[in-house]
Order: sequence, then structure tokens, then C-alpha cells
Amino acid sequence: MYDVVIIGAGPAGLSAAIACRESNLHVLVIDEFPKPGGRLLGQLHQEPTGEWWNGIEETKILMDKATTLNTEIKCGISAHHIEKTDHGYSVHTNEGVFESENLLIATGAAETAVPIPGWTLPGVMSIGAAQVMTNVHRVRVGNKGVVVGVNVLSAAIARELQLAGVELHSMALPASNPVTKNHANPRKVMEGLVRIAHLAPSAFIRFGSKFAKAEWVRNIAVSFYPKGGVKMWGMPIHIRKAIVQINGTEKVESVTMCDITADGEIVKGSEKIIEVDFVCIAGGLYPLAELASVIGCPFQYVEELGGHVPVHNEQMETPLEGLFVAGNITGIESAKVARAQGTLAGLSIVKQKLRDHKDINAKIQQAVANVQAVRDAASIQFHPGIDEGRKKIESAFEEYKIS
Amino acid sequence: MDKLIICRCEEVSLEDIENTANKYSCSARELKLRTRAGMGYCGGRTCRPAVDAVLEEVTGEKPGNDIPLKVQPPVRPVSLSVLGGKKR
Amino acid sequence: MTNNRITDHPVLGKLENQTPVKFTFDGTTYTGFEGDTIASALLANGIRQLRVHEETGAPRAIYCNIGHCFECRVTVDDTDGVRACMTTIRENMKVDSGKLQAVPFKSKPEEWPRTYAEFEKSSKKDGVPHV
Ligand SMILES: Cc1cc2nc3c(=O)[nH]c(=O)nc-3n(C[C@H](O)[C@H](O)[C@H](O)COP(=O)(O)OP(=O)(O)OC[C@H]3O[C@@H](n4cnc5c(N)ncnc54)[C@H](O)[C@@H]3O)c2cc1C
Ligand code: FES
Ligand code: FES
Repeated sequence: MYDVVIIGAGPAGLSAAIACRESNLHVLVIDEFPKPGGRLLGQLHQEPTGEWWNGIEETKILMDKATTLNTEIKCGISAHHIEKTDHGYSVHTNEGVFESENLLIATGAAETAVPIPGWTLPGVMSIGAAQVMTNVHRVRVGNKGVVVGVNVLSAAIARELQLAGVELHSMALPASNPVTKNHANPRKVMEGLVRIAHLAPSAFIRFGSKFAKAEWVRNIAVSFYPKGGVKMWGMPIHIRKAIVQINGTEKVESVTMCDITADGEIVKGSEKIIEVDFVCIAGGLYPLAELASVIGCPFQYVEELGGHVPVHNEQMETPLEGLFVAGNITGIESAKVARAQGTLAGLSIVKQKLRDHKDINAKIQQAVANVQAVRDAASIQFHPGIDEGRKKIESAFEEYKIS
Repeated sequence: MDKLIICRCEEVSLEDIENTANKYSCSARELKLRTRAGMGYCGGRTCRPAVDAVLEEVTGEKPGNDIPLKVQPPVRPVSLSVLGGKKR
Repeated sequence: MTNNRITDHPVLGKLENQTPVKFTFDGTTYTGFEGDTIASALLANGIRQLRVHEETGAPRAIYCNIGHCFECRVTVDDTDGVRACMTTIRENMKVDSGKLQAVPFKSKPEEWPRTYAEFEKSSKKDGVPHV
């Protein structure tokens, strides 16, 4: 019987494990990926200060701490079901059942698919797949490709592919269909670009972002978007062109690109065939919360947090006794926020287990403040209005407690 | 133009979903059961947001607060030998 | 032989002193590095396609590379349904691509188990391995 089983060895899960081990709790961390680190492993971007955020190094720092504290971490284990028992939780995995008093679900995020015709062909992959292949496995995903979907994640990863010497033709929008909606709408995409402008070493975009805060400027920017795209690190980003089809029989051979109007409608006769051998699809992230759902944790749909999120409070507790959540399962934010939330969740679990543990309330208050400080300073923001989203989910928790 | 597959596991296309919706004018839940969209091997992890978007478009139902069609265990396909598994 | 390895990286550094691991895919022997997944070792050797869709025969490869989509299912040492993107290669591992199935198993959604207990019972009864 463990004091706590932690599902997910990403920045959230590992930080929580460290906090629990510092108070000597009996902890088990499981993760289905062969290596610990979660999605932190593949991350590699330059901060506005010029410093590199290297996920492999950041993981090493967390793992060194966890190892010094003798933390039990098992990789290559998938949790497929959880049951509530009289004493806590039973976690069902491919390596048997683990019993625990408390449970932390830190399963992170999954990528939202953006279906376009031909997207099942070998050579088409999610942008995250390319990130892991490139930075974790050090394998080139192809010789030349395009990125479909322009957002903060795809811009960052496109840059990572370039760094590794993988050629990208360009980034463009997906063709408009009932699923792609906002991803295929140049005006909406422009709003997103404004939010990542500070990351771009491109004077044009940085300049644009200062003014584009007003809607009318954004409209003009969309209407007069340069035909050749705006270049970021020498690679064209098109928001007035869309990929309408991926072509090939056994694998990707080319894509069909079209011009689109400011509202995302295809300009007839503008089709161009571009030869590529891989395509990365970038539709954004949503919280991977299925395990919280099977034990009956209540959920709330919060757009600002990326989708359906398990109801929880500021201290990372859910309404189910002994069930905690941390990291991207609680809303899509950067790895630094996930790490801070993990520490906080770990402290809350310590409190749950040891009750009157010395100074614990003060530590928890400090950790809550730290999460907010990290959030306010974040250089990468996936969704606008994260603070409003957080408020919504916390008031859902309050309501839940009352009813 | 190729058909637009929405659910990769079950190869359910946008057309399939629209046709079924027109034929039965049914709820989002029933549409999923009829077309099997989102009911494939991956448990809808890949296509759930996409299927929900299509369903919202064709049925007009907004996503509620519950996880659509409540996830059923197991959340990963499990082989028989695992289910007979031992306790620790 | 195709070599898609990124041996030099301006930030992550050089890829040096890797331990080679031999394995087979559909009968052919390939070499990957220790720590590689089946998917990364095969792609390093220029191989993308990992299976065909069981019913339509359409070629498939990795999609998510982090265990969510199950598009990369292969057979490893005679266990089928193994995710190539989540499984590390071992010396002499026998990997086979996912094949077309002559008579696909399909049950009606109405017959699917509604609770975990039901699922456990039904899957034990008729030996159906997967939901
Ligand atoms: C593809 C991708 C790329 C990203 N790139 C960036 C980026 O470049 N920069 C950035 O700031 N943020 C990025 N993010 C956001 C990322 O989610 C956060 O930065 C951070 O990694 C979240 O930490 P976490 O601990 O919550 O989850 P994760 O880091 O995702 O860790 C969750 C872990 O849980 C494991 N897991 C999930 N389900 C199960 C299960 N059923 N059984 C066992 N283990 C399970 C997973 O294998 C994973 O290792 C990316 C996210 C994704 C999905
Ligand atoms: S893609 Fe639809 S169930 Fe897997
Ligand atoms: S590629 Fe998605 S599970 Fe392996």
C-alpha cells in the first residue's frame, strides 16, 4: 500500500514526487513512456532573454533530485483503469494492480487533431510527434515537409526542426471544414500570432504585435498579408494559404496548397502542388483527463484551459477524497507552470497524509503564490484568458462542495 | 478530392457522419454509436475533439460539462493476460 | 542504407558512443541504438509504414509518437497490438507489421460492456482480447 501513486512522470508528476519524498511519504511514480520526463523531454526553445530552455537538461535536474530522495519510478507502465476502494484507490496497469491511499493524476495533454483529406498516410504526423522524434530520439522525420496549423506550439517546434537541419517548405493553415474552424480562419490565427510575437526574432512580427492589439489593425494586417508569407527564421508563415489535401498512395508525396480569403475561403484556381515527404499537423493541445473520468471525478468544460478539466481547487485537490491533479490535465500551460503545480500538489498530499505536519500550511500558501508568479511570468501562453479559466474551475469546485 | 476521414481508427468520414445525421436525425451520442466515430482502438483520444466539433455542427448540441460519452474503462486496450493480473 | 540520424545538433550536441542494437522487422534485420523505440529505430532506417488498417488495408505509420493514437501497432515476439512508439528495442527482438484481417471482429456497440466488471467478465468468457 502506497501513500500516493502518481500517474505521469512529466514535470508535474516528478515535482510532486519530490515534494512527497521530502516528507518521506511512500511514493510510486508510473509512466507509460520508456523514459521519465513526459513532454518536457522534447522541449527546446529560446527564452526572450536568449537563454535556451532545454527539456532534456530540465528533466535531468528533476530526476537527479528524485533519485537522491530514493523515489520509486517505473517507466513503460500504462494505467488503464482506476477504482475507488475503501482505503483509497486501485490503479490497474499492464504490470498489475497498485494500491494507494492517495492518487495524483498528472497525465498531461494530448494533441487536438486537425483532419484534412489524406491525413492517414504514412508521413503525416502530429507536430508533437516530430518534436519527440527530432529532439528525444534524434531521428529526422523526413527530408522536406510542411506544417499545417499556425500556433504557438507549431511555431516553436518548426524552429526545433530547422535547428536539427530538417527542411520545412512553410507553415500554412488547414483547409476550412467543420473541425478546423478557428484554425482555418486567418483572423483568428492572426490573434494567436500576436500572442507569440515576442518569441519571433522578426522585426515585422514584433512591430506588428505592438499595434495589432486593436482589432482594426489586425484586420488590415490580415487583408494585406504578404503574398510570400511572413518569414520567421527564414521560413515563410502563411496565413492566407491553406493545405487542402495531402497526396500520395503508400506515403506522402505532396500537398495541395491554395490561396484563401481573409475569412478562410478557398480562392478557386489557386491550387499549387508542393512536393514534400512529411506533413506535421498542429491543432493545439487539450487536457488528457480520461483517468479522472473513469473514477467519476466531476468535470467542467473551460475553453480557456483547453477543454474538459477535472474540477479542482487552488491546492490541486479534487472533490474526491485523496484524489489530486496537477500539470496540463488541469489546463494547458507551459512546463514551468506544470512543475510549480506539481510541487503544490505534492505538498497538499503531504498535508492529507500527515495532517498537522510542521509548517505545511505556510508551505502550501507559498506554493500557491509561486504557481501564480510562474504563470504571470510565462513566456509561452497557449490560451488567452488563463486566469479567468482558473477562476471558473475553482468556483466550480466551491459549488461542488456546497451541493 | 479524397474523403475527409474524421475518425482514423474506424475510418469514419465527415460524409458518413453527415449522412447518418440526415437519415436518423439523432443525438450526438446516438450518432457516435451508429457510425462508431470515436469508438475505435484509441478510445477516441485522437479524434474526440474533432468528432465533437462535427457533431456540434450537425446536431447543434454544444459540448456539456461531462466528458462526452463518458470515458469507459479500460482507457487503454488491454490484453487478456493483463486482466487476469496479480495484485501488489 | 538510409540514415536519418541527427548526429550533430547546434544546441543538443553530438550523438556519440551509442550502443547498437539489432532487431528484425518483417524478417529483415535492422540496427538501432540502445534507447530507441521500435518506431524511431525504423524511421532512422528510412522505414515509415508500420501496419495496414485491419479492414481497409490502408497503410499507416506513427501519428502521435507518444502512445495516444495506437496507429503504430505492431506485433512483438508474437504479442500483437504493441505500440511501436512506446516500446524500446531489445537485441534480437522480432517485430512484425500489423496486417490486414480477413474476418474482422466487430461487435455491436449495444453489446459492449457498460461497466468495468462487465468488461472483465465478458472478455474472460469468450476470449475476446480487446474492446
Ligand atoms: C506533443 C506536445 C508538445 C509540447 N511541447 C511543449 C513545448 O514545446 N513547450 C511547452 O512549454 N509546453 C509544451 N507542451 C505542453 C506540455 O504539456 C507541458 O509543457 C508539460 O510537459 C506538462 O507537464 P505534465 O507533467 O502536466 O504532463 P506531461 O509532461 O505530458 O507528462 C505526462 C506523463 O504522463 C504519462 N501518462 C499519460 N497517461 C498515462 C497512463 N494512462 N498511464 C501511464 N502514464 C501515462 C505520459 O506518458 C507522460 O509522460 C507540449 C505538449 C505536448 C502534448
Ligand atoms: S481515431 Fe477515432 S477512435 Fe481512434
Ligand atoms: S504513434 Fe500514436 S500511439 Fe504510437
